[in-house]
Amino acid sequence: MKKLLGSRWALGAALAAAAAFPFLAQAVEQPYLVRVAGVIGLFMILGLGLNFTLGYAGLFDLGFISFYAIGAYTTAIAMRAHVPAPLAIVLAVAITLAMRALLGLTILRLRGDYLAVVTMGFGEIARLVINNLDSLTNGPKGMQVRPWRPLACISPDPNVQYYLLILAGVSLAVVASRRIESSRVGRAWVAIREDEVAARLSGIPVREYKLLAFTLSAAFAGLAGALFALWEQFVTPESFVFWESVLVVSIVVLGGMGSIAGVLLGALILVGLPPLMQWTLSAEWINYRYLFFGLILVLATLFRPQGLLPSARRESELSS
Amino acid sequence: MLAQQILNALTLGAIYSLIALGYTLVYGILAMINFAHSEVLMLGAFTALGLATFAPAAFGSGPSALAAMFVAGMAAAGLVNVVVERFAYRPLRAVSRLAPLISAIGVSIVLQNGVFLWISTQSLSFPRPVVIGQISLFGASVSSLQLVILGAALGLMGLLHFFVESTKMGKAMRACADDISTAGLMGIDADRVIAVTFFVGGALGGAAGVLYGMNYGSIKYNLGFLPGAKAFTAAVLGGIGNIRGAVLGGFILGLLEVLACGYIPDGAQWRDVIAFTVLIVVLLVRPSGLLGEKMAEKV
Amino acid sequence: MTSRRSAPAFAIIALLVAACGPKEKAFKIAVAVPLTGDMGTEGQGLRRAVEMAVEEANTAQRFPYKLAAVPFDDRADPKEAVNVANLIISDPRIIAVVGHYNSGCAIPAAKVYARAPVAMISPAATNPEVTAQQLSPDWIGPKMVFRVVPTDDVQGAYAAEFTYRKLGKRRMSLLHDKTPYGQGLAEQFKKTFLQLGGDIVTEDGVAVGDKDFKALLTKIKGSVKKTEGLYFGGLYTEAGLLLKQMRELDMKDPFVFISGDGSKTSGLFEVAGESADGAYLSIVGVPVEDLPSAAKFMADYKKRWTGSGEELKPFDHFGYEAARIIFAAMEKGATNRAQMIEELRKTDFTGALGLTRFDAKGDTLNKIVTMTRAKSKGRSFDSIR
Repeated sequence: MKKLLGSRWALGAALAAAAAFPFLAQAVEQPYLVRVAGVIGLFMILGLGLNFTLGYAGLFDLGFISFYAIGAYTTAIAMRAHVPAPLAIVLAVAITLAMRALLGLTILRLRGDYLAVVTMGFGEIARLVINNLDSLTNGPKGMQVRPWRPLACISPDPNVQYYLLILAGVSLAVVASRRIESSRVGRAWVAIREDEVAARLSGIPVREYKLLAFTLSAAFAGLAGALFALWEQFVTPESFVFWESVLVVSIVVLGGMGSIAGVLLGALILVGLPPLMQWTLSAEWINYRYLFFGLILVLATLFRPQGLLPSARRESELSS
Repeated sequence: MLAQQILNALTLGAIYSLIALGYTLVYGILAMINFAHSEVLMLGAFTALGLATFAPAAFGSGPSALAAMFVAGMAAAGLVNVVVERFAYRPLRAVSRLAPLISAIGVSIVLQNGVFLWISTQSLSFPRPVVIGQISLFGASVSSLQLVILGAALGLMGLLHFFVESTKMGKAMRACADDISTAGLMGIDADRVIAVTFFVGGALGGAAGVLYGMNYGSIKYNLGFLPGAKAFTAAVLGGIGNIRGAVLGGFILGLLEVLACGYIPDGAQWRDVIAFTVLIVVLLVRPSGLLGEKMAEKV
Repeated sequence: MTSRRSAPAFAIIALLVAACGPKEKAFKIAVAVPLTGDMGTEGQGLRRAVEMAVEEANTAQRFPYKLAAVPFDDRADPKEAVNVANLIISDPRIIAVVGHYNSGCAIPAAKVYARAPVAMISPAATNPEVTAQQLSPDWIGPKMVFRVVPTDDVQGAYAAEFTYRKLGKRRMSLLHDKTPYGQGLAEQFKKTFLQLGGDIVTEDGVAVGDKDFKALLTKIKGSVKKTEGLYFGGLYTEAGLLLKQMRELDMKDPFVFISGDGSKTSGLFEVAGESADGAYLSIVGVPVEDLPSAAKFMADYKKRWTGSGEELKPFDHFGYEAARIIFAAMEKGATNRAQMIEELRKTDFTGALGLTRFDAKGDTLNKIVTMTRAKSKGRSFDSIR
C-alpha cells in the first residue's frame, strides 16, 4: 500500500477515479453514494487532522470535534454577516487555528489521559457555549447558512459539487501530511512520540513541536467544518456531540496511527458502514445497525490491533 | 436552603464516587480508560430490576429485598466486566495502549444497543424496596432513600479500603499497580489480579447503577453515559489511579454541580461548563489531579 | 419486509443481494426518525404508529395497490438525517415522507426533499424554521414541507392563559430543556404570562439527559418572591424526574406543575409513578372524550403493540395522523410525488387530532388546545373543561 501510494502515477490514477466517481454513481442511478462519499471525505479530512495530534505527536485528544464545530459556526456566522464564502472558509481555518493554539498553550503540559480528559472537557464546553449563547449562535434552534454553489457549472447537484470540493480538501490534506511527515518536523515528532526524554536530550524543542502538531490539526478541522456548514446550509449543536470526537479517534486508531492510508481506510469503513447498512439492511434489521457497528469495531481491533494499515515506520519499530 | 443543597450534593457525589472507583481501579493497574464501564453500571441496574420483576417471591420486601438487589446488580456487573476484560481487552493488552480503548468503545456500543433491542427501548420504572419517609435535619428534609444511598456508598468504600489495604489480594493489586511486570516476577498471577480488579470495579459500578435506579426511580438503556463521563472526570480530578482521589473527586464534582445550579444565575445550563472549567484549572495547577502522584513516563 | 430489502446481517453481502433484487409494485411511505440512539424511544413509537396506519389501510384494501412503511434511522444526527433524505429521494416508489423527529434533522433534510421534490410531513419537529425556511429567497424547490404538530406558540400561550385565569397563579417559575421544542414552549409561555400581568420568578435551562434536578428545585422552592408553580418546556423523561424530585422536596399542591404534550404519555408514569398525580399537561386537539377517532386510535394502538416498551409515545398520534393524511391524498388520486404535494396542500382531514388543514407555509391550522390532568391510577389524563 505504501508503495502504491508512493508512486505518483498511482496517486494520480486514484485521484482521477475519485473525481469520476460521482458521475459514475449518477450514471448507475445511485446518487445516494455521492452523498455518503462526501461525508466519508469530511471525516477523512478530520482524521488526517487528528492524525497530527494523535498519530504523529502521540497526544490523546477526545474533544477534536469542537474544532469542527468552531469551523462550522465561524462559517455560518460569517455568511450571516454577508462575508463571501471563500473568505468565510479562510476565516474558519484561521479562527480554529488561533483557538487551538490558545488551548494548546494552556494545556499541553498535561500528559497522557489527563490531556484526553481536558480536551473532552473543552469539547463539551464548546458545545454548551454554542448551545447557550443564543444571541450569537441562535442556540439550540441552529443557524441557516445561505447557499454557495461554486461548481454549478460542473453539475447542478449540490452533492456532486461538494463531493468535488471535499475531494480537493482530502487531496490537500494528504499532500500536506506527506510533505510534513517526511520533513525534519515529521521526524522530530516521531522522536518525541517514541521517547520524549531522549528527544529533549537530543536538542529537539519538544514543547514547540508538540504545540505545532496540536495546532496544525485544527486547520483540517476548520476546513472540514466550513465545508460541512456550506454543504448542509444549516448548523446545529446536535451535530457536534462527544460521540463524533470518539468516532474520529476510532478512525485514526483503527486505521493505523500515523498512517495516511490507514486513516483514509479507517474513515471509509467507520463512516461508510452505517449508511451502507441503512441502504442494505431490511426493515427488520435496521435497528441492529449500530449493534453490528460496535461488533465490527471490536472484531477489527482484535484482529488488527496495530491498525488496518499501520504506518511502515511504526511497524518496523514494533517488530524490531 | 444550604443544608438542603449540601445534602443534594452528598447524594450525587456518593453515586459519582462509586462509579469513579471503577474507573480508577482499572486505570491504576492497566493505565486504560474502561470506556464500557458506563454500560456495566447500566447492566447492573437492569439485572436488579430483572430480579425484582421476575423473581418477586425470592426477592421479598424491605431490607432483604434491598440486599438482594444489590447482590444481583453487583454480581452481574462484576461478571460482565470480567468477561469483557477477558475477551475484548486482554488480547490487546501487550500490543498497543489505544487499541483496548477502541475495543472498549465497540463493547460499549454493543451493550447499549443490545439492551435497547432486547430488553426495552424506553424507561422502565425501578422499584424502591424501602418506604420513603422524610426526616427534618438542620432545616433540610432528608429522605430515607438518601440515607440508604449515602450509607451504601460509604459502606462499600469502607469495604474496598479494607480489601485493598488488608487482604492478600489487595496487596497483590497494589503490587500490580506499582509495576505489573515486576509483580509477575514476584510470583503474582497478574491475569488473575486483573480479573479480580475488573470484578471489584464492575461490582462497585453495579452498586452505583442500583443506587442510581432507586434515586431517580427509572432506568433506560442509555443511563450510563452521562454519569459515566462525569465520574470519569471526577476520577481524573482526584488523580486517576488513586482510590481516595476518586472518592474526593466524586464528592467535589457533586458539590460543584449542585452549587452551580443552586446559586449561580442561569447556573443549570452552565453547570457542566463550570465543572469542566474547574477541572481544567485544577489540572493546570496540579497536573496529576488532587491526590495523584506525579506520573512516571509511560511510553 | 420487501424483497429488495431483505438482506442478511452483514452489509457487504447484503449490498450484492440488494443490487439485484426485483422491484415490488407498491407505494412506500418513508418513516425517517431516530430508531437508535438517545431518541430511539420516541422514534420507535413514531415508526409503530405509521406502520399501524399502513397495516390498517392494507387490511381494509383501501387502495388497488399495496402500501408499505419503510423505516429509516436518522439517529437524531443531522448528518445522518441528510444521508437518509438522499437515500429516500433516490427511491422513486417512495411517495411521501413522515419525519423527522428533531428540528435539527428536519431543517436540513427538508432541503434535500425539496430537490426531488417529495412531500415531508413532520410529526414532531416544532421549530418554526422547519416550514418558515420555505419562504426564504434561498429556498430551492416548491413548498413541500407540512407539519401536523403545531408550533410552540399555540400551546405555550394557552398554558399561560390557563395558569393565570383558571388556576389564578401570578408568580411562576420557568424551566426548559434547551431544545427548540422546550425552549419554544417556555418562551411563549413567558411572553403571554407577562402580558397577562403575571410574574416569572425564576428561569432556567437544563439539558436533555439530566437526571438530578434537586439543586435547581431547591433553589426554585427557596426563591425570594414565592413561586406558585413550575412551567416546564420539555419531554416526559425530564418532566417525570422533575415531578418525582419535586414531591421529594415537598413541593406539592397548591404548587402546580404545568407542561406540554411532550410529557403527556404513559412514559411519564413509568418515570414519576404516583408523583405524576395532579400535573397539568396541555395537548393539541379537542378532548379525547369528544373525539371517538382519537379514543379508537389509542385503543387500537394498545391492541396492536403489546411488547415491552411499546406503549404510546407522546408524538405517535401525530405520526399516525400524518400517514392518514397521506392516504387521504392518495384516495383523491395522488399517485406520484408531484400530485401528492398538490393534494396535501388541499388537505381537509378529520381524524384523531380533529380537523387538519394547512396554511400557506404548510403548518397545521388545528390550533385547539386542551388541558389535561395526570392521574397515575389507571395512567390516564383527564381533560379539563
